Amino acid sequence: MPAVEMQGITKYFASSQVLANDAVDLSVGQGEVHALVGENGAGKTTLMNILFGLTRPDRGTIRLNGTPVQIPHPNEAIRLGIGMVHQHFKLVPSFTVAQNILLGIEPSRYGLLDQRDENAAVKKLADEFGLPVDPAAVVGELSVGLQQRVEILKALQREARILILDEPTAVLTPQEARELFTVIRDLAKRGQTVIFITHKLLEVIEVADQVSVMRAGRMIGSKPVRETNLKEMARMMVGREVLLTVDKKPVEPGEIVLEVEHLLVAGVGGHTAISDLSFNVRAGEIVGIAGVSGNGQTELVDAITGLQPVDGGTIRLLRNEITNQPVGDRREQGMAHIPEDRLRTGLNLETNLDENVIVSRYREPEFQHYGLQDRAHIQKLAEWVVTQFSVASARPGEDIATLSGGNLQKVVLGRELSGSPKLIIANQPTRGLDVGSIEFVHRTLVDARDRGAAVLLISVELDEILALSDRILVLFRGRIAGEFQDEQATKEQLGILMAGGVIEEEAS
Amino acid sequence: MTSRQRRQIFDAVLIPILAIITGLAFSSVFVLMTSTPPLVAYQEMFKAGFGCERLDNCSFFLTLERATPLILTGLSAVVAFRSGLFSIGQEGQFLLGALMAAWIGYAIQLPPVIHSLVILAIAMAIGAAYAFIPAILKLRLNVNEIISTIILNSIAALFVTYMVNFPLRANRSSTASTPIIHASAELPSFFPGSHWGVGFLIAVAATIFVWFFLWRTVPGYEQRMSGQAPFFARFGGIRSERAAIRGMLISGALAGLAGAIEVLGVNRQIVAGFSSGLGFDGVLVAILGQAHPLGVFLVAILFAGIRLGSQIGLQITTNIPRELGGGILALIILFVSARSLFGDVINLFRNSFGTGRGIPKEDKA
Amino acid sequence: MNEIQISQDIITLAVIRSGIRLATPIILGALGFAICSRAGVLNFAIEGMMLFGAFAAIVAAFLLGNTYLGVVVAILAGGLIGAFFAAVYLKYRVDLVILALALNLFIAEMTVFFLRVVFGAFGSWSDPSIQQLPEINIPLLDQIPILGPLLSGHNIIVYTSWFASFALYVVLFHTRFGRHIRAVGENQSAAETVGIDVARVKIFVLILSGCLAALGGAFLSVGHLTLFTRDMTGGRGWLAVTASLFGLNHPIGVLFTGLFFGFADAFAVRLQTVTDIPPSLVQFLPNVAALVALVLVGARGKLREELARRRFRQRAQQEVAATVVTPAE
Repeated sequence: MPAVEMQGITKYFASSQVLANDAVDLSVGQGEVHALVGENGAGKTTLMNILFGLTRPDRGTIRLNGTPVQIPHPNEAIRLGIGMVHQHFKLVPSFTVAQNILLGIEPSRYGLLDQRDENAAVKKLADEFGLPVDPAAVVGELSVGLQQRVEILKALQREARILILDEPTAVLTPQEARELFTVIRDLAKRGQTVIFITHKLLEVIEVADQVSVMRAGRMIGSKPVRETNLKEMARMMVGREVLLTVDKKPVEPGEIVLEVEHLLVAGVGGHTAISDLSFNVRAGEIVGIAGVSGNGQTELVDAITGLQPVDGGTIRLLRNEITNQPVGDRREQGMAHIPEDRLRTGLNLETNLDENVIVSRYREPEFQHYGLQDRAHIQKLAEWVVTQFSVASARPGEDIATLSGGNLQKVVLGRELSGSPKLIIANQPTRGLDVGSIEFVHRTLVDARDRGAAVLLISVELDEILALSDRILVLFRGRIAGEFQDEQATKEQLGILMAGGVIEEEAS
Repeated sequence: MTSRQRRQIFDAVLIPILAIITGLAFSSVFVLMTSTPPLVAYQEMFKAGFGCERLDNCSFFLTLERATPLILTGLSAVVAFRSGLFSIGQEGQFLLGALMAAWIGYAIQLPPVIHSLVILAIAMAIGAAYAFIPAILKLRLNVNEIISTIILNSIAALFVTYMVNFPLRANRSSTASTPIIHASAELPSFFPGSHWGVGFLIAVAATIFVWFFLWRTVPGYEQRMSGQAPFFARFGGIRSERAAIRGMLISGALAGLAGAIEVLGVNRQIVAGFSSGLGFDGVLVAILGQAHPLGVFLVAILFAGIRLGSQIGLQITTNIPRELGGGILALIILFVSARSLFGDVINLFRNSFGTGRGIPKEDKA
Repeated sequence: MNEIQISQDIITLAVIRSGIRLATPIILGALGFAICSRAGVLNFAIEGMMLFGAFAAIVAAFLLGNTYLGVVVAILAGGLIGAFFAAVYLKYRVDLVILALALNLFIAEMTVFFLRVVFGAFGSWSDPSIQQLPEINIPLLDQIPILGPLLSGHNIIVYTSWFASFALYVVLFHTRFGRHIRAVGENQSAAETVGIDVARVKIFVLILSGCLAALGGAFLSVGHLTLFTRDMTGGRGWLAVTASLFGLNHPIGVLFTGLFFGFADAFAVRLQTVTDIPPSLVQFLPNVAALVALVLVGARGKLREELARRRFRQRAQQEVAATVVTPAE
């Protein structure tokens, strides 16, 4: 009898007009490690939020060990033995490990707490599951990996028999990820059921017994991991033959546009995010940076674009040193940036199209005279973006908040490409987009490259990297783990390097 | 005009009107305690606040005179809010501006016009300088600007009390006050016996300036983007720190200007206990006016009118304590900010006027 | 000579006692602000809640003919305001700062309105029948020299303010509920996911802060004098906010910063009578000190960041230097 059985789960979000789950079935066996995979926006997290009582389904039934249950609230989920470790940890930074693990279920005498009792209880729990932690350590000072362990212990303390992990490796170093996998296997051996959400297929092979693949709100299929392989899973995930093909002319690299030398950047919390990194991008070529997210991509992009201070090394744009220049100066020299987070960084959803398309160019003489904005010219630019990039249902002067994700990204692209930039930094440019929009974005980037722009493409989607890049660099733990010319690279090789392996060895 | 803009304007007008009606309706409970029928009381209040019987006895002019500092402190709050800083330091900047005006107004001799212009400029500079403190604390050390401005307000109030009681005290007075300023420093009024004058024109000019600055100029664009979407602004190459500091300087200058105009145009000196509350009122006016210069201009007049109407119309004519006016204003502010209260009513209006979609219900998911 | 010595002592003692008195409403208001801040609620309505407490205390003392009952009514009234605040904030999602400013304005104006309408008083009101809160001598303590006259002989609100500081400290840091309050303030979603009722916590702290601030107000109207005047709190609520921030929202810290504010007030008055140092200059002190404290807290955070960055650069450069020797890439 399956530990978890979800049937016909349907959820429609009226506010964003998204059918997140469309009659989804999921069955998870007792003591099994079950990977739930799919691209961003496939509906994995919604499904798990429903199981944990954070979201109410419109339709569908949930059975735990054969008994039908209603889960209106996380409290009920916890009571039923379900625990969830969220992608963003739900921890109180100034509290100790013990205080966090026991939050809400503190042992107390007449409401008074006893620190020693708490530490002892947590120590016992940690020993029992073989997950060593210091109960008295302050959580805010722990590494991300240990914080995650605290989250897992928090669920175990609440006697969770079913543990949901939402993209647990997204924030971990590969070393920490490997430790986590050991923990997951151990838990499964003890009879715990583990469901873990991911979009990294290598992890599925490494740790899971069973895999369920979701795409666009639907359950595509569920299989034992033994009976499937990377390629099949990938096909199920993306719904088309894995190899995207983009027609492009042979590369004709020109002069060096972007030159990064010995770059050193600190990440949040002071660990090394980018370490002694050197590379360049030439005019007319697309350089793809492949890598599992969290290996320094965000910091690299922020350092190049000027959003984060550089701790060492130099960055040059067309032989001009820009290492410590403000963002605006870099943009004036022809740098365009398609950011990872288009809703918060790439756009201002509270204002209209015109003010959105002008943000990177508002200081140019064409759009202002003596400090007064030239509204007619700005409006022309907005019109140009709408027509050139066929942004459906957007009009100059109107708000953009109601546009779809694909159209919003077209607004970003239109703005960034409008000034014929010399260098384009595209960070996860197709994240969360539908197939049509993805093709549009790819076409646009290749066209810009053919016109002679240097393009730096950062993506966690290997297919995208392979389809677009003329040269590929693999980023691993803030360093370049390997470099390929487009035609030499195979997915397997890249995958090994991305996971921290070495080419000569067999992939595990 | 697009349908969306129409809808926005519709909201901007309808919500305050509904709030005013609801506020008055609520307050009638208090009016009833005084045995005056509410409608009679409100009629008196509005007559006294917004009426104008003859040109030489026009209470609306007095309302405009009283609205002048409110417009300026309200604009000051708008500029700060629109730069992303919730500064409530208008009170302190206002007091320092007033103090400078009172001091330079009697301490130096200058030809007319020039004297007042110099004073206005200095008062703006001092207001701006005082606003610089919370701005730099926020940007460099991440000190919450609400909190620092509260403290700076009380420091300014204590400083003014000290200056009026000691260094600047006019010898003859029994209650401490500064000497009367020279005639050359005075701002002229439109009618003899009234203080409604040039100060109001300055407030009108400031309203237009703030609107023009925020919505037509490059720095104004930088300002609004930094306030609305800080990540977006930085990403686009806007130097948000500069924009925020510039915003606070302008905000402080406007509040300092308000203080100077109050001294040069109305009071001619500072009397002990000159803790105006006009700065705080400015924050309230900015909130009620939806952080828009035109809204601030209208709301400041409404504010002043209700205050005056309750002072003259209620207190003198109907013997209802004038404090009711403040109570009504507080209720109106409450109802404006609880706009979800009116969601259903607004949807009803919209449907009947055919202005498109209503406010979507909150999605709890 | 001996006489002069003693009289000086008495003067100092009197000033300190007056400082303790002046500190009481500030401590209570600051505790109210602190407990709300700990739950992540910025309660800028302390001024209004305090004023309402002052009003309710004296009116109830008059109507009920018992000052202690008046104080109890004030506490209840403060709690009611807190509950109203919580209801509007949680139900209609009104911005807290706006709500607080509106509430402060409403209370400041309407207390005067009611005095006029109900008692026909213009701006200030008192009645001979109202008794001041009696001073209580604490047995044994009042026998101790210096400490006795200093700490004994205050009224119940003064003692309550001290007791409340310690009680709140215990509640916040040694009880389940207090820990839940802090969890809500620091990471609301963490509290939510473990089943802590966030709304209940916020309602509780707002009611409690209303009670505390109102008690501070009652001290002003029936504890020190028996009088209510227009805007009687005169900015003490805002001082309380400052004192709370200065005390880093820690109940014990708040007790001391509150006393600091009170002493500064008392010495200001004292200096005015014996020297010609203007009182407002002395009253500057706690405000400037609070501002300095805020700056220091901010600077400490910045400095930590800066040091961490510097350490990182050194370490990373060493790492790089070490790896350059071996052929990489």
